[in-house]
Amino acid sequence: MKLFAKLAILAALALPAAAHAAPDLSGIWSITGYRPGLKTLDGKAPPLKPAAQAVYAKHLAAAAKGDKSYDEVEACLPEGLPRLMLGPKPFEIIQRPRGVFFVHQNRLVHTAYFNEQLPTDADPFYLGFSVARWDGDALVVDSSGFRDTTLLDDKGLPHSEALRLTERYTLGKGGKTLSVRTTVTDPNTFTAPWSFRATYARKPAGFQMPEEICAEKLYAKKAKG
Amino acid sequence: MNVKTNIRLGAALASVALLAVAAAAFAQGSQSPAQAPTADQLKNRPRTLNNSGDPTLALTGPLRGATEAPAGSAPPNPDPKNFEGVWWLKGYEYLLGPGPGVQAPLKPKYQRLLEQRIRDKNAGKPEADASTQCFPHGLPRLTESPYPIEIVQTPKRMTILHEVAHNVRRFYIGGKHPKNPGHTFLGHSVAHWEGDTLVVDTVGLNDRTFIDDEGDAHSDQERIVERYRKIDGGKNLEMVITVIDPVTLEHPYSYYRIYHWRPDIRRTEYVCEENNRNAPVNGVTVAQ
Repeated sequence: MKLFAKLAILAALALPAAAHAAPDLSGIWSITGYRPGLKTLDGKAPPLKPAAQAVYAKHLAAAAKGDKSYDEVEACLPEGLPRLMLGPKPFEIIQRPRGVFFVHQNRLVHTAYFNEQLPTDADPFYLGFSVARWDGDALVVDSSGFRDTTLLDDKGLPHSEALRLTERYTLGKGGKTLSVRTTVTDPNTFTAPWSFRATYARKPAGFQMPEEICAEKLYAKKAKG
Repeated sequence: MNVKTNIRLGAALASVALLAVAAAAFAQGSQSPAQAPTADQLKNRPRTLNNSGDPTLALTGPLRGATEAPAGSAPPNPDPKNFEGVWWLKGYEYLLGPGPGVQAPLKPKYQRLLEQRIRDKNAGKPEADASTQCFPHGLPRLTESPYPIEIVQTPKRMTILHEVAHNVRRFYIGGKHPKNPGHTFLGHSVAHWEGDTLVVDTVGLNDRTFIDDEGDAHSDQERIVERYRKIDGGKNLEMVITVIDPVTLEHPYSYYRIYHWRPDIRRTEYVCEENNRNAPVNGVTVAQ
């Protein structure tokens, strides 16, 4: 009986994979054409509401004066999403039956779990909570439960805790490229949901992720100043 | 040389002698390092370094650590070579020597350094180690993390995702160390299977971390060999670890640990830079 139960569980676990020959996104990827600021699919500025526009303008003005104190990443706190996916440094995708692991060079790990629902009342995290599913050949990752202290991009685009992201991952050029279309929904910050696209190139087989320690920068800075 | 120094020197020599006795007893008592310490060994564990009786050398006591998965949790994967999933360390030792409460077989210079670090800690002025600066804990200390780990396994790689300070280790199965691996906090790890045991060899470590919480020292010549195998039908993962360091150690030494299979636990977000985790985690207080 016990063995039978185990076999039944194994069979159930194996089923989704067998029923759908999903593409394998596993590999190490780096962004092509890094840009610090996000634009919508048609190249426009994201549709910020006036209050959020004012916050964004403040960030831009401070950065212009060399003051990035509004940006927690300067203190080595996590980038949050989607910003973590937009930097110039590589990340690794490890696709497993339980979920998809995004392991970034700075050692932040973003996990999207299969066969799970987004929590309705999540504790906010830097990287939120993410669930994954297949839509044809696209891996769809839905995320929510974000802290409002992170920024959406390197230029300082703000968001609220109501932020929701839907990312669609598709492979291109026979698996050599990865395209991600992200839809940003945050009614507190934007007048309407909007989308952007980022593309990534696969690192050569055999590339090994170096050890990156953000805190080294902080201590080097302290020692200097 | 004044009287005080003489007493200290005497105590240090006695420490070395006691260490040798303790190490010999441990070696004799267990042919296989995978054997659990006896109740007697645990009861008689030193409460101060080498039972010196010197309260300034008192060791920090062990923590209970994780318990086994609650009843009704998902069963372990029956494949003995499939380690994938969440594991959680049983017990937690501040001193990672060859036996409970016994320090690493340090050369005299590093024995003195360890004693100094323990004294400083007991005096409320601990040396700022790597982890307090949000650097990775180094090895073997990271393997003693009281937070869960998640193993992500593919044929050529075992990736260890640590909850603690989002540390990541990659074991390249069948891989080779680079000719010049440099020196990093977690080094470069290659692995191979010996039957159902995964043997991991790590080199290229820097000397900026301690072997353990108490401050056993290692150099950048340190080499770590870990042997992992599933036991108890996959409910536990056994790790036998060997620490090799020709600079700080008189000789290599080994100890073992158990990680419990914990499918009910999800590795969560740990942000060292935020200093936000001095609170009970899943019912276990891991810091004070």
